Amino acid sequence: MTTILQLEGLGKQLHPPDGPWLFRDFSASVAEPLIISILGKSGQGKSTLLRILGRLTAPDCGSMRLQGRDLSQWTPEAWRMTVSYVAQQPVMLPGSVEDNLRAAALLHQRSFDLTQARQWMEQIGLDHLDWNSGAQQLSGGEKQRLALIRTLLLRPAVLLLDEVTSSLDSISKQATERLLVDLHAHSGTTILWVTHDWEEARITSQRIWFMADGRLLEDADSRTFFDSTRTEEARAFLRPSHLLAESLEGAR
Amino acid sequence: MTYLSMSFAAAFVLIALMLSTWQKLGMGKDIVIGTVRCTVQLLAIGYVLQFVFHSNHFGFIGALLLMMISVASWNASRRGARLKGIYWLIFASLSVTEIVTMGLMILLGLVTPIPQYLIPMSGMIIGASMIVCSLFITQMNQETASSRGEIEALLSLGATRRQAIQDVMKRSIKASMIPTFDTMKTIGLVQLPGMMTGMIIAGASPIEAVRYQILIMLIFSSAAAISAVMISLLSYRLWFTKDSMLRAEQVN
Repeated sequence: MTTILQLEGLGKQLHPPDGPWLFRDFSASVAEPLIISILGKSGQGKSTLLRILGRLTAPDCGSMRLQGRDLSQWTPEAWRMTVSYVAQQPVMLPGSVEDNLRAAALLHQRSFDLTQARQWMEQIGLDHLDWNSGAQQLSGGEKQRLALIRTLLLRPAVLLLDEVTSSLDSISKQATERLLVDLHAHSGTTILWVTHDWEEARITSQRIWFMADGRLLEDADSRTFFDSTRTEEARAFLRPSHLLAESLEGAR
Repeated sequence: MTYLSMSFAAAFVLIALMLSTWQKLGMGKDIVIGTVRCTVQLLAIGYVLQFVFHSNHFGFIGALLLMMISVASWNASRRGARLKGIYWLIFASLSVTEIVTMGLMILLGLVTPIPQYLIPMSGMIIGASMIVCSLFITQMNQETASSRGEIEALLSLGATRRQAIQDVMKRSIKASMIPTFDTMKTIGLVQLPGMMTGMIIAGASPIEAVRYQILIMLIFSSAAAISAVMISLLSYRLWFTKDSMLRAEQVN
């Protein structure tokens, strides 16, 4: 089986060409469909890493391979349809809820999977929404979930989620987590998930990428990371006082 | 009007200078430079026009039009200094606008193809189109910054550059054309345009002057549409990098 995603020495500089590195030498590979949580303190470049993987930001060094083919062999459009990024700040496209749901179908002239859209909307707790209402009028949490479903309907092989549960109440958050875990189990979608919520990471993920000191400090399966972490940085990160501060920041 | 009587017009500049000194506006230098440039440029073009009219040679007419388009392109391209190659794209848009509108006027027999008509009318068309291009670029710069989230959400759904920027482009085209149509709505009630005023002062009947003014206003409407659509189609790629990421001064 070909490796899904292979990252070699990725790096991003703050102010090229002479500025400090946000992170560098980031190498990892994803051989099988997994849910991977990307953890680390604020300012480690987790969101930037996702943007690089989603080809919205150019890295300053390193290379990426997707499904065994080098980045240069992919058109940006085909890449982004396969590895799709969902931003932390949800942006609604102009128009109604339905316009947003139909966006991917319209862009690629595919038929719109109405049944699937309804099912996901229900599962994520948005079945009360009137599809004809303006998407801009939704609350922050509703926008965040709608933006996620909008991307799911594109059916990418790899999902890049940037704190997509940060503005959700606990019930919506659990519903969203369940939907993503189900999706992964049924369709083998790989999910790379930036979160500040270690409990979420522990429940949902099979693997953890821990970023600190401007690099990927730990790449471990979830149980190993939480039960017997190797590095002092990760232990400090997992201390209760720190987790509280981080989750407060995430909730902000 | 003799040169002697024209020199009395300097009195108007003196009024401006005196007011500037009295109110300590510090605009003396600008007033003097403006006065000198305006006088020298207009006198020069007066002699050039006289020469071209007498010669009635198409080479000279063409050279003059080329100069007008070059200067207009340079002026409008200053709005998009960071956009590589924008000068030539504006140059192409203005040239097409000029050729289509003047060509149509000649074909329909609305003007006689002699320099006395071709040059002043071209000047007005190129000037109006220059403002449209300039407004379009300014608007695109603002819109791509303020609608960054929307464009990137579309890119993340696998949209092409064109699909991702379509709405932003439309809004910018509209914004660049609105002043032209606003002017058409109030012309004659608020402002008496220069060409018409000039013809009346030079002894033409107001009805004759108004007919030409109507003609030129209608041409402006199509010139605005042609130049806005042309520059948008030619230039939208410049707001993206070669691997179709939205250009940014800084990201994160």
